[in-house]
Order: sequence, then C-alpha cells, then structure tokens
Amino acid sequence: MRRYVKLYWQFFKTRLKVMMEYRVDFLIGVASVLLVQATSVMFVRIVFDHIDVLHGWTFHQLLFIYAIAMLGRSIEHIFFDNLWVLGMEYIRPGNFDRLLIRPVNPLFHLIADRVQQDGFGSLLVGLVVLFTSAPRLDISWGAAEVMLLLLMIASSAAIFLAVNLFFAAFSFWMVDSLPIMATVQGTSDFARYPMNIYGKGIRYVLTWLIPYGFTAYYPATLFMEGSGDRSIAAWSPAVAAASLTIAYLFWKRGLSSFSSTGN
Amino acid sequence: MISVNGLSKHYRIASREPGLTGAVKGLFSREYTIKRAVDDISFRIEQGEMVGYIGANGAGKSTTIKMLCGILTPSSGEVTVNGLVPYRDRKRNASQIGAVFGQRSQLFWDIAVRESYELLKHIYEIPEREFKETIAMFAEVLQLEPLMGMAARQLSLGQKMRCELAAAFLHNPSIVYLDEPTIGLDVAVKARIREFIKEMNRLRETTVILTTHDMQDIEEICKRILIIDEGKVLYDGSIQSIKDRFGHKRVVHFELEAEGGFAFELPEPLIGLAESAVGEEGRVSLTFSNQAVTAADVISAMMQSYRVRDLTIADPTIESIVQELYERGI
Repeated sequence: MRRYVKLYWQFFKTRLKVMMEYRVDFLIGVASVLLVQATSVMFVRIVFDHIDVLHGWTFHQLLFIYAIAMLGRSIEHIFFDNLWVLGMEYIRPGNFDRLLIRPVNPLFHLIADRVQQDGFGSLLVGLVVLFTSAPRLDISWGAAEVMLLLLMIASSAAIFLAVNLFFAAFSFWMVDSLPIMATVQGTSDFARYPMNIYGKGIRYVLTWLIPYGFTAYYPATLFMEGSGDRSIAAWSPAVAAASLTIAYLFWKRGLSSFSSTGN
Repeated sequence: MISVNGLSKHYRIASREPGLTGAVKGLFSREYTIKRAVDDISFRIEQGEMVGYIGANGAGKSTTIKMLCGILTPSSGEVTVNGLVPYRDRKRNASQIGAVFGQRSQLFWDIAVRESYELLKHIYEIPEREFKETIAMFAEVLQLEPLMGMAARQLSLGQKMRCELAAAFLHNPSIVYLDEPTIGLDVAVKARIREFIKEMNRLRETTVILTTHDMQDIEEICKRILIIDEGKVLYDGSIQSIKDRFGHKRVVHFELEAEGGFAFELPEPLIGLAESAVGEEGRVSLTFSNQAVTAADVISAMMQSYRVRDLTIADPTIESIVQELYERGI
C-alpha cells in the first residue's frame, strides 16, 4: 500500500509537469467544465426564481445536494478518469498487455496513467456552491459536522468510481464498453435532485441497483431536516465500501477472462 | 531458464455465415470452431541463450510469447520461467522480464523520454545508483542523449526503437522478449540495435528471445532457432544446420518480353539445376542452389534464350525456409 502511494505520487508529479507544459489546454479544459457546471446551477436558480420550494426543498438545500454530487464526481473525474478509455486506448490497440508485463497492479497502473485536468473545473464550482449553500442550512458547522461532510463526499466519489469500474470491466469481454458507461453515468443526473420527487421505480433503481442516490441526496439529508431519509443516509460509507468491493471483484473476473481469451 | 512442456492455447472462434442474414443468425446461435494457436509445444531455453523464434504471421509466435509473459493463460501444458509460473505469478514474473512488442510502446507517449525512464525506475524499484549507471551506459551505446528531452510521440521510428530497447533492458531483466525490434529501420540503426542486444547478452547474460522476419537479425544475434508453424514446433536447433541446408539457395525473379503469348521452357543449360515457377505477364522465378550453378550462369543462360526486361535476385526468406521445411521436412 505504501509503495502504491509513493508510486502514485511519482505518476502524479509527471502528469502535473505535462499539464504545466500545455497551459492553454489546461485552462481551456478547466474553463469548459466550469461553464457546463455553472450553467446547470444557473438552471436551478432560474427554476427557483419562479417557485420558493420544490416538493418541500428550498433553493439552498437543493444547492447543497448539488454540491456533494459535484464534489464527489469531480474527485472521481480528476483521479479515475482513465477507466473511460480502457477499451478504446488499452484493450483495442493491445496496449493493455503493456500494463500486464509490469510488476504493479494493472488497475493501479491504468488509473495512475491519467490525471484529468478538466475535473478541476467541477471541483471549483462544487466548492463555490458548497460554501454558498452550507452556511444557509439549518445546522451549526462544528468540527464533527465538517468531518462527517468530508466522509460523505469521499463516499460519493467512491460510488461514482465503483459504478464506472464495474461497467468499464465489461470491456474485457466486449472490447469497449464506453457506450454502456456513458448511459449509466447519464442516470447520475437524476441523483442531483431529492429522491423523494421521483416515483418508486426510479428511486429503487438509484438506491439499490446503481446506487447513485448515495452520491448526493442521501448523504446530504444527514445535514438537513424533514426528508425522512436520514436513516438511509448513514449507510452511505458502507454502501460505498460494498460497491467498491463488488466492482473490484467483477474487474478481477474480467481480467482473468481477458487473460484466458486474449484479444 | 525457461521450460515449456506440452504447452497449448486453443481459442474458440465464432464462425459466421456470410452476409447480413449470417450476421443476424449469429446473434442468436453461433457455431464455434477451435483454433489451435499453439498446439503442444515443448522446449527449454537456458539462461544467457539468444534464441530466434520464427514463423510466418499467425504461426503462434506471439501467443507463445504472451504465455511466457503471463499475459495469457494456457489451455493446457506447463510453463515455468525461472521457476515461476507466469500466469499465476504474473507480477513477480514481470519484474524479471523486459519486452519490446513491435509497435506497442513501453514509453509513456506524451512525456519526455527521461521522465518515462524515471517512472520505470519507480515501477521496477531500481536502486538510484544502478539506475544512473545503466542510463549513462545506454545513453552512450544507443546515443540517446539528444532524445532524452523529447516526448515519445515526437520520436522517429528509429529513435523510438532505441528508446524502447533501453526501456526493456533498464531494470536488468533476466529475460528479454523482442518482437520485431528492427522492423522498418534503416541499416545503420539496425546494426546499432543488434550490437546493443549482443552487448547486453555478453555483459549481463540476459536471455534473449527474438521474433523477426529479418534473416540478418537472426544470423547476427542468434545461435539457436525455433521455427513454429501452425502452432507446432517445426525445427529446434542450431542456425548453422539450417543455413547449411538452405543458406545456399537463391531465387532470381525475371520479367521477360512476352508479346503474343509464350510458353516458358527452361533453357537447355539449366535443366536439372534450376526449378522454375511461371507467373503472369512474363514473370518467371528460378530457384537454384548456388553450389550447383552460379547466379551469373543462370542469368546469362536466360538472357541467351529470352529478352529479359528486368530481374531481381532474392535472398531466402523466413517464409520460404518455413515452407521448404514443411514440404520436405528436415
């Protein structure tokens, strides 16, 4: 484990150097994601210009849910983005073999191969939204609350990662599972809104099948009154750990199938 | 030491019927055929040997190499590399091997070559002093110094291959697999690369397994060759006996004036000495042994009987040797 932390730091430093070399790329990437995320926040603002509460949720409560989703997603985006190109850039052209003849865990190597600069854009917007909304919630922020919030954001990131890892692993059988990954991640947009505005079906799917509900709404309710979902909220870290375990086991299965069929 | 015993790799391949109907049918039911990519092969390679592993495209070379590297799990048979079973102990096996896989780069494509080596240093946990000494030596032998600051994607093919070789040997592996290391390179670079491989083998007793289509590579680097065809070992032995058997074989391709149709007949002096293969539009290939008759005699006999528009003299290729072995046996 310590070895991997040190090794990641080496990869990260090198990536950072490349980013600094291509400054314009870096800025354009960050700015474009920043714009996309800011627009979606603006949209919520516009909606709330016409109404005061949405199904019992105030503007700032909604923003707070948004912030957790954005922060979780941005951590996953910055550090684990290379999973998206497993099929396209590794398996299809045969580059995955290169990872398999190195004395490190191939999943680690795949992830360490990229730091996605664009993610810094959503991290920034997420922080702004968090700092705008959090003080306006009906809660006094002490050290314990902040720690809990950090844990919830980490769980959110872990669930984004687990879902992506699970569906990326399909690439071992079907060469490139990117379309599936994109479709699945599309559903995470639902999870940015309070789950109780949806019908039973969508709620069930986003809670128990693809646990995106735990990337924002459930963790957020820990800090907010009146949803009745608090009892589920506390399970977020456990759900994150379980999802990661399942996804990694599935990845391992894919890997072993890959090495018995080749490409 | 590499030991391979009764090693096989079989793939299941879905056979589809042609056309759209076939494709649609294939969605619902598929018939599979078994392809024996590697079929019950056995060999042993001692530490420090340099072995040419040759065969036509699709003969099973890269499947074997992948199994030796631990990338592929065999269907049956045993394989051990320095006592390890590669596919079970992939990571430990990985730290003692190096590889150059043709067009697939070991370097990180968008970062400077020097940084790539730095990362490899951490990946393979090479001690700093050893790393510095190795890099200094490689930079000299392969003339890497001017390339160190460039990103891998900016390098020409020859420059890239030199950097790749350095990457493969960087952690002082006990075995190095080289797949077509000289393909598409000019003569000077080829010579430098061969020199480097021999030097590494001499200094560090690195075992080298080389797959190539370049006869020159094999003659200069390897003492032993393994010829594989359709997944089976066709020949395992010294390069010398193959050369004695086939090395004096020559082929001359002629292009003859052939207006108004003509029937090719071997000129009188060559009967019994050369075999002919007639192609289209006046193309004729003559195969002969240069111990029985010289190329000059063949050409002059042909020029006396026909109007020769063009001719080329070809060396024996791996493909022709494999074919010959297949048809006539050892």
